[in-house]
Amino acid sequence: MIREDERLLDGGPLLPVRCRTCAAEVLARKASWEQTSIQWTAEAAAACHELGADPLGTCGALRSAIQEAALAGTITVLDEHTPDPSTIPHDH
Amino acid sequence: MTAVESDAIRRIEAEAISSRFARGWHCLGPAEKFKDGKPHTVHAFGQKLVVFTGGDGKTNVLDAYCRHMGGDLSQGTVKGDEIACPFHDWRWGGDGRCKKIPYSRRVPLRARTAAFPTMEKNQLLFVWNDPEGKQPPDDVTIPVIEGVGRDDWTQWRWTEQIVHTNAREVIDNVVDMAHFFYIHNSFPTYFKNIFEGQTAIQIMKGKSRPDARRDDGGGKGPRMLGNTSVAAYHGPSFMIDELTYHYEGYDLTSILINCHYPIDENSFSLHSGIIVQHSDKLPAAAAEATAEKLSTFILAGFQQDVEIWKNKTRIDNPLLCEEDGPVYQLRRWYEQFYVDVADVTPEMTDRFEYEIDTTRPVESWEREVEENLKRREAEEARA
Ligand code: FES
Ligand SMILES: [Fe+2]
Ligand SMILES: [Zn+2]
Repeated sequence: MIREDERLLDGGPLLPVRCRTCAAEVLARKASWEQTSIQWTAEAAAACHELGADPLGTCGALRSAIQEAALAGTITVLDEHTPDPSTIPHDH
Repeated sequence: MTAVESDAIRRIEAEAISSRFARGWHCLGPAEKFKDGKPHTVHAFGQKLVVFTGGDGKTNVLDAYCRHMGGDLSQGTVKGDEIACPFHDWRWGGDGRCKKIPYSRRVPLRARTAAFPTMEKNQLLFVWNDPEGKQPPDDVTIPVIEGVGRDDWTQWRWTEQIVHTNAREVIDNVVDMAHFFYIHNSFPTYFKNIFEGQTAIQIMKGKSRPDARRDDGGGKGPRMLGNTSVAAYHGPSFMIDELTYHYEGYDLTSILINCHYPIDENSFSLHSGIIVQHSDKLPAAAAEATAEKLSTFILAGFQQDVEIWKNKTRIDNPLLCEEDGPVYQLRRWYEQFYVDVADVTPEMTDRFEYEIDTTRPVESWEREVEENLKRREAEEARA
């Protein structure tokens, strides 16, 4: 039996975010500025150009789209008591 | 958004463990071990199996129990390309068919036993388990490991042990960042998981812990700064970990295997393997010594897990904080190996990424390391 991650119920759900450079639309969630969950679909993964190049990395354009969605409030950052988003490095 | 606090007592839930075993390639260890011309007994997938290499050099895996009168083929003898039963000498081929009964004119109809597909890769022997009895698809395989068999890498250093718990416990480690600090004396600073198709990846970076006593030179030799690990399960049981240790001035490159096969639903055989790359800083002999040391270190790490597993309970509904990894999504991925191929759903295989915010864990662990060092200093001053 597959169970649901209760953090999605108690904290907040995954919400749609669209990549700015490709047609990929994913579901994303941020528990804090530096935490990110991304649920892809097969269609989205096929649409993204960057995934094929580096399956270990997250598409850079999508990363910034999620960051922008968080800043714009389209997706909620559950715990805002984290550093100012402008100081967050874009890559690890 | 914060959920309402609840006064209800959280109940631990655990369904009965199914005795269905994962579909996929399972590693039985270095292939060489099974090429001694003798039958080997392997308890796996709730059964007793016989592993033997015939005169033709092919390693085969059959159900150990002879279809004649139930003799144990793994106590028998390899004769030519076949395994001969110790009870009445019936000869069984690697394809599962009885080839000959020396004292009979004819082999009866229906003289066919269960044969498991095998594969040799990276100098390791793999056996295919499939509750649906199908052959392994061509695209479901184990990747080639570049350093294996090369003379600028060490040979496999292999360990195995039996662990008395369900194999899901070892899988859960893929997402469990915090346990690396609390039970393995590591210090994760970066942690990300990616699940996609039949792979589950863990990317982890860590720094060394000055408060952890390790016999890695302690002052003499170069200082270890940290490590980078990219570890991936390929299927339900075989993990390849590209593990790099960063030392002052150079990197140590190694490949670590962490794999298992289920013996039954309450136990599994846990294996580890390691190869280390030679380098200017690490010529052949030093690389061997390092591999040896790492192997011991990994075994100690397994022991730390085993100690927890021995005493913990199975839990289907772990209660997670936001700094925990994606346990539920990992188990959703893992489920694909326990259902028929026709019942694998996109949610089990669609790409999922999860990066932990390590800000708070790192802060808290730095404080803890600091305290440990102070306490040790005080103890040493007293002594
Ligand atoms: S039981 Fe195996 S030959 Fe008779
Ligand atoms: Fe562990
Ligand atoms: Zn993209």
